[in-house]
Amino acid sequence: MTDPTNTSAIRAEGLAKTFHDPQRGVVEAVKGVDLDCHKGEIFGLLGPNGAGKTTTLRMLSTILAPTAGRALIDGVDVAEDPLEVRRRLGFLSGSTGLYPRLTGRETLRYFGRLHGLEGERLEAAIARAFDAFDLHAFGDGRCEALSTGQKQRVSIARAVLHDPPVLILDEPTTGLDIMASSDMIQFIESRREAGTCVLFSTHILSEAERLCDRIGIVYDGRMLAAGSLDELRAMTSKEWLEEIFRELVQRADAGEGAA
Amino acid sequence: MSSAPRDAPGAGVLRAAFAVARKELGESFRDRQTLLYTFVLPLCMYPAMFWIMVQGVLVVQGQKQARDVTVGVVAAAETAELAVEQLALDEEGRGRIEVVALDPETPRDADTIAELIEREEADALLFLPADRSEDDPAALFFDSTSSQSETARGRVVSALEGWTEELRAEAAGARELDPEVLEPILIQTRKINPSKDDGALVLSLLLPILLVVMCVLGAFFPAVDLTAGEKERQTAETTLLLPIPRLGLHLGKIFAVCATSMIAATLNLLALGLSAGHLLGQLAGLGDGAPKVELPLGALISIAPLAALFAFFVSAVLTGVASLAASFKEGQALLGPVQMLFMLPAMATNLPGMELTATTAWIPVVNVSLAFRGLLVGSASAGPLLLCAFSLTVAALLAIWFSVRLLSSEEVSLSSETISMTRILRILRPR
Repeated sequence: MTDPTNTSAIRAEGLAKTFHDPQRGVVEAVKGVDLDCHKGEIFGLLGPNGAGKTTTLRMLSTILAPTAGRALIDGVDVAEDPLEVRRRLGFLSGSTGLYPRLTGRETLRYFGRLHGLEGERLEAAIARAFDAFDLHAFGDGRCEALSTGQKQRVSIARAVLHDPPVLILDEPTTGLDIMASSDMIQFIESRREAGTCVLFSTHILSEAERLCDRIGIVYDGRMLAAGSLDELRAMTSKEWLEEIFRELVQRADAGEGAA
Repeated sequence: MSSAPRDAPGAGVLRAAFAVARKELGESFRDRQTLLYTFVLPLCMYPAMFWIMVQGVLVVQGQKQARDVTVGVVAAAETAELAVEQLALDEEGRGRIEVVALDPETPRDADTIAELIEREEADALLFLPADRSEDDPAALFFDSTSSQSETARGRVVSALEGWTEELRAEAAGARELDPEVLEPILIQTRKINPSKDDGALVLSLLLPILLVVMCVLGAFFPAVDLTAGEKERQTAETTLLLPIPRLGLHLGKIFAVCATSMIAATLNLLALGLSAGHLLGQLAGLGDGAPKVELPLGALISIAPLAALFAFFVSAVLTGVASLAASFKEGQALLGPVQMLFMLPAMATNLPGMELTATTAWIPVVNVSLAFRGLLVGSASAGPLLLCAFSLTVAALLAIWFSVRLLSSEEVSLSSETISMTRILRILRPR
């Protein structure tokens, strides 16, 4: 059951993931990540490619099973009740992941139905999504024929159609042009106002600086530090996020070297 | 790598499976290859192909009969004249038989004869000795590799049949004998089965193989499309995020593949059954003895439950195997040999002596093919049919378990490379 006094929307403790890779053998992709994100908060996971951001987000969204540790989404354990977790979150990645042979409307109808929306409620939700993301011009065309920006708008509409309390976005601006990227940033800001917890990964520092209430620096499968920009500045005595990031990474590498 | 998180199976599993299957079917029918194999082939291409084939055979046969042939006759002048008269009787409605009288002293050795035919002086050579003694019988030489020579042979044999009868009667009369005694054992063959049973036999050689082949072909592209194709299109992650139990998701995919397989098989069987009656009738000239082919509705309805079980078996196997591939192309390459594993046993069931018994009923593929054949010719009995149903149920359940186990694995569902055999064994290892 969800505790109403608890504002934590995403909580992870010691979350870890190990893969068996045919070429590299055992790979520790995530080595014990702790995370606590609240309702109405935008939390950014910042890190280079291969740092473990996507794997962490995939574990939180039940796509992958954690090898160790525990994670709760809106108070529900991802390992114990993954189905309920999927009902409570919206997930979006840069690749959009839309079914190419369905139209935008069919995509929304399919996801809406599986989220328990039926009849007039479903049609009303689709109509709202069409208005909110301005899908009228292309929403009835097959997704395979849409531009990247149009696909991303349908994809966002799909992710929030059931009004989830938690939104997980994996590098959502990857591959988008300036306008589409700007729309995405506006959308993320609007979700904060709606009280949604937004966890998103990025390697674009300016995006993180502009949007995030708190930032987690992920490197080599570990969360090196997490906090507001001011807190991170205090931790590292650096002004700019890029410098903060470098400082934390250097400390981590030095620590490993010493060990 | 561990398995993806498991959801508790519940009442929602089947509902979710049907929802996924409906969506996947809708998407599949927007795929050109699936449409081609499921609808276009049975409804348009097969009847058209059969029609063209039959018309072609009829045209070729007509042309052969209308063709003029040249027969060289090696005989004394009097015998040669008689031969010309007899051969002329065969010309009604057919091409001319031109008779070339050759030197009666032409040697009967193979080289000379081959040279004569090679020089196209004659399409066939008929040697007719004057005394018609047993030591020196009449002989007809032809080139079996030449269609013209083969036609000439057929025309000569047919034309001389009547003459032979006349000569026999004449010889018997000269000796005051009944001509019948010159043929001491006269076997008259009489068919006791109705001609529609011949038609059922023709269909029993075609339809069981078609059932297997079309179940496999009908499942082939959807199986690849819903698994490897999904990875290639980068929609696997989206699908895994659906708020439904994973078992429902995987079953939904198998249901969709199975539905396509069944639709393809049903349409093909109906199309072939309907067109075969008309077209084979044309081919056989619609004579009294020609096989009468009727749509075997009874057998089709009776085989339906077994065919459905077989379609589940095929669909689950193909879906599971295709899920090991990382791209559509690799999926097709993986399923190529697998589809042969289904088709070859089906073809083997056409071997003489193969029938549904308590033993063959246990062998998947072979059993459904033989059961269908038995139902078509009316030789199937309840015991082996029940065993066949049981065997197919077990096979389908095992295949569904195999497929769901693979699809549930993170390694399989999200891998960007084709899964090796070692990894497959690790995934299938009991937990």
